[in-house]
This record gives sequence, C-alpha cells and structure tokens, in this order.
Amino acid sequence: MRAFLAFLLSLPLSVMLMGLVAAAVPVPWQSWLVLQLLGVTLLWMLLVVLVALPERTWPPLVALLVMNGVAWMALQTTALYGGGA
Amino acid sequence: MKADRLRRFIDLHAWLGMASGLALFVAFFAGALNVFHHELHHWQTPQATEAASQDAIDGQALLARVTDQYPDARKRLFFLPEEDPAVMWFQSSDAGAGEWLTAHATDFDEAGKYVEKPRSALADFINQLHYQLAIPGGGLPINLGMTFMGLISILYGAALFTGLVIHWPKLRKEFFALKHEGNMRRYWKNMHNLIGVVSLPFHLIMSVTGAAMGAFTLVAVVLGTLVFGPQLRGVIEEETAVWPPVQSQGESVAMVPMADYLSAAADALPEMSVDWVEIRGYGDAAGWVDVAGSVPGYVGHHAHVVLDPAMGVLNVIAPGQRSLNFDSFSPVYSLHFGDYGGMLVKWLYFAMGLLGALLFVSGNVLWCERRSDRQGPSRGSAFLLRLTLGLCFGVVIGVACSFLVSKGLPYTPWAAWVATAERAICGVVVVLLVLWSLRASPLRFSGLMLTVAPLCYLAVPLLQVVLEGGHALEADNLLINGLLLLVASSLWVVRRQFRKRVRLAEPHPLWVGKVTQGHPKHLTETEREAVS
Repeated sequence: MRAFLAFLLSLPLSVMLMGLVAAAVPVPWQSWLVLQLLGVTLLWMLLVVLVALPERTWPPLVALLVMNGVAWMALQTTALYGGGA
Repeated sequence: MKADRLRRFIDLHAWLGMASGLALFVAFFAGALNVFHHELHHWQTPQATEAASQDAIDGQALLARVTDQYPDARKRLFFLPEEDPAVMWFQSSDAGAGEWLTAHATDFDEAGKYVEKPRSALADFINQLHYQLAIPGGGLPINLGMTFMGLISILYGAALFTGLVIHWPKLRKEFFALKHEGNMRRYWKNMHNLIGVVSLPFHLIMSVTGAAMGAFTLVAVVLGTLVFGPQLRGVIEEETAVWPPVQSQGESVAMVPMADYLSAAADALPEMSVDWVEIRGYGDAAGWVDVAGSVPGYVGHHAHVVLDPAMGVLNVIAPGQRSLNFDSFSPVYSLHFGDYGGMLVKWLYFAMGLLGALLFVSGNVLWCERRSDRQGPSRGSAFLLRLTLGLCFGVVIGVACSFLVSKGLPYTPWAAWVATAERAICGVVVVLLVLWSLRASPLRFSGLMLTVAPLCYLAVPLLQVVLEGGHALEADNLLINGLLLLVASSLWVVRRQFRKRVRLAEPHPLWVGKVTQGHPKHLTETEREAVS
C-alpha cells in the first residue's frame, strides 16, 4: 500500500519538479522535451526510493502529498501552462 | 552504514526486485533474442519463400502495384528495400481496416492481384514479448503492455539504486567473491551480486531507456495535464516529426523510381546506410519521401533525408545536423537496442540479456528463501517460488516451442496457421507449466525443466537442418542457430550448477515442499556482516 502510494504520488511530483526546472532554465522548453522526459523518469525512480525507505509509513507519504501541493502552486506562478517558453 | 538502515535498503531492494522481477525476466530473455531481430526475420522465412522471392517482381513494381490497388497506401507507406522487398501501410477502409498490412514482392498472383500469404511472425512476436509481454493492444489509445513495462522499469531503476547503495561500500570485496564456500546458497547469492555489479551500467541504461520509451505516453499525458497544457501534443508532434504532415492541394505528380530517391539521399548524406523509406502522399505534389537509415560511428546513429517528390532535399537529420530533441532521443533508442557498435556490441547485449534474466530468477529465489528464513514457514514464499519457477521455465520453453512451430509448421498442411500457432503454443506452455509448478515439488520440477529446456533449444537448429539442409548454414540462419545453441549451452550450465547445489548442499525446505515450524530463522550474510 505504502509503496503503491509512493509510486503513484511520485509521478506528478517528478513531472511538476521538472516543469519548474523548465520554467527556470532560460531555454525554450520545447527544445529539450526529451531530456525533460528522461529527467522525469530518473526523478520518479529516486522519489520512489526516498519515500519507501523511511521506517515510518505515513510521514513520508504526507510529505509527498504536501510537496505535490507546493509544486502545483509554484507552477501556477509560471507561464508554462498553455503559454510560451 | 547503520545496520537497521542497511536492512531497510535490503528490504526495499528485495521488494522492488520481487515486484518487477518476473516481468523483467520475460523482457530480458525475449530481449536477448530480440537483439538479433533483423537476422531472426531472415531465419523465419522458409527456404521455399526465399527462393520464390528471387523470381518475384522488383521493389519498384511492388510499390506501383500496392499504391494502385490500395488508395490508403498512398497516404502513408513504408518501403523496406530488402532481398524480398516489402511495403507496409495502414489500411483504414475495406478489408483489413484498422490494421497495418505488409505486402512482399512474392505476395502477388499471376494476375498481379495482392494475395496475403501466411508468413511466420516469430520475430515480431519475440519483439512484442520483450516490450509489452505480448499483451494485445485491444485498440486502446494507450498501449497497455508497453506502459506496464514502462512502470516496471521505474521499479527496476529504483531497485538498482538501492542495490547500488547496498553494495557500493564492499564492491571490491564482492567483485572477487564468486567462489564455492561449501554453502551453495552463498554461491547463488554471490552470483546474483556479481552479475548485478558487473552489469550495473547495462542495467542502468536499460532501466532509464526502458522507462523513457515504455512510460512515454503516460508521462506525456501527466506533463500535458499538469505543466504544459493541451499545447504539448502539438509540440511533441512538431519536435519528433522529420517533416510536417502533408497539406494536399490536390495536385498530382509522377513519382520517380525508388532507386533515384535512394541515390538523391546518398548524395545528400553519403555516409548513410538505408534501412527503410517512408512516403507520405504518394503521387501528391505536396507529399514527401523520408529515406531513413544509420550513420555508422555514432551511438545516436539514426539519420533521415527528407525529399520532395522531385528529389529536392527538404531536410537532413543526422548526427551534428539535428535538434537537441533528436540528438537526445536517438541514443535512447540505440543504447536500448544495442545497434550502435556492430556485432561485438550485439553479442555483448545478448550475453547481458541472458545474465539479466538469471539475475532476476536468482533474486526472486533468494527473496523467497530469505523471507521463509526470517518469518518462518509461509505459503506466500512457497507460492512465489513456484510461480517464479513455473513462469520462467514456461517462458524459456514456450519461446523454444514457438521457434519449433515457426520452422516446422510451414512444411505441413497447417502452414496458414503459423503466425497464430507461434503465439498460441508459447501461451499454452506458459500456462501449463505455471499450473504444474504450483502442484509439483520445486526441486523435481526444476530438475526436469532444466533437462527439457536445453534440449528444446538444441532441437530448433536440428529441425532446420532436417527440413532445409544447407540453408541452415547461410549467414543469418547460421547466426540465429548459433545463438540458439548458445542458449541451450547456457541452460545446460545452469542445470549443472543446479545439480551441483543439490548434490553438495541440503536444499532449502522451500524447494522440497515441506516448510516446517522447526526450520531455523537466520539473518542473511549481508545482515550478519552489518551487525558484526
């Protein structure tokens, strides 16, 4: 259950973190989509390990959920969604 | 590292490995054979069909006939300029609607009408077994099997990361620790560690590239939903297309012969060797021809020369002349398929694929034994051990049966069923062996299967020699037959080691089907070392 949730919740977080990197890097995001894809897969793997590793079950899962919320709010401050680079 | 932290890493490594191990075994075993996909295509063609292709129409006539008879082929087709040239197109109307059809030069009757002939599809089946566990697509917008393998690759990558953390501090010691120390269980554990450590770069490549290709659709959907919005779809199409889609104005144009297009591509990019040609809008003035191939000497070797119908060069995509997206994606493909370094790299990938399959079996077996040792007798451990053995032997023997059917059935009255039978026999063997393994003693089951499996792989080249004589020794056939003999030898070596273990060490209670309460619990070697 814990690993399943970690696996599930890590995907949106890794995607949004990569989105934040795309917003921060002064290069059009369209030009390095494949590298973003590779970055998302690596981040996803790493997050699964980090969340599934601690002894206690719920704190890392709650942290993951909170991080998802924070990353989503941070993304709203960028012009990426439906916008340009 | 503290003992309890190390233990959590070990537990997580074991859990991730167990969750992904069986799917990865199938992917690696089929993937090892799939390294020689092109050669396997030649091997599966019966001698009689190859001989007929010598007298068949040439590629140009084939192209003309297909585009005359099938208007759908004019929208988009792939031309494969091989010994027996082929044209592939997507049929969206009439018979075969919603499917990719393939016409070979030998598929036309005397009146010039296309008649689909039964052909072995073994190479495609092995390929599908590798990347989607041969799970049918079912017409869904997302390829379920491929996406599933993408998710498995994520778990696999996470397992690799934990494995690296566990073994990094004692890498040098373990690297030379593959030796028999009286306890044969230690031997298998050493072997698991050694294979994992030696092939770590290979596995890192496989996990990242496998995840990138398998989970591409899923990640793109989430990226589009959360980050970039609906614009992402158009951007992906734009960034991965060699040229924009055809915007037809209804103006017709006479196509020049294929040889001239190939010649024009060679002028634009002399070092490219051609693999296939894609034509969009055949006979349309707005159409284009993409001559695709490889530029040797690069890891990301894929190249395209896009021409207009009058052979004018529209675009050249090659190493040093392409966008960052193409520059990044090309190595992802070639690093995964091992087609960038000639035969030596291909054989290396084949060996690593087989070793990878052994890594996952040994990992699963160690997990079951370790769980039984630590938590006492457990139906779960016994079930997982039996499932692992049943599925792994099922796939190994099932694939051998597919090879036997592929070579044997075309010479029987049931030749028309060859493509279906290749898949069906593999599925039936897997199901039967899994059911059998759940009932039988794992020790006896494994002993028997390790005798049958090498014999099955030995039988395939022998069958070809009996049916086709010296044809079995021709270039690609010789390579595939040699590869099958290598698989047979590898299985025989595993059989020898298995028997040695049974002879020298008392088998774990799980293997004889009697897990008793009296069986002692103990820590693993790694845990003991960490505690001390």
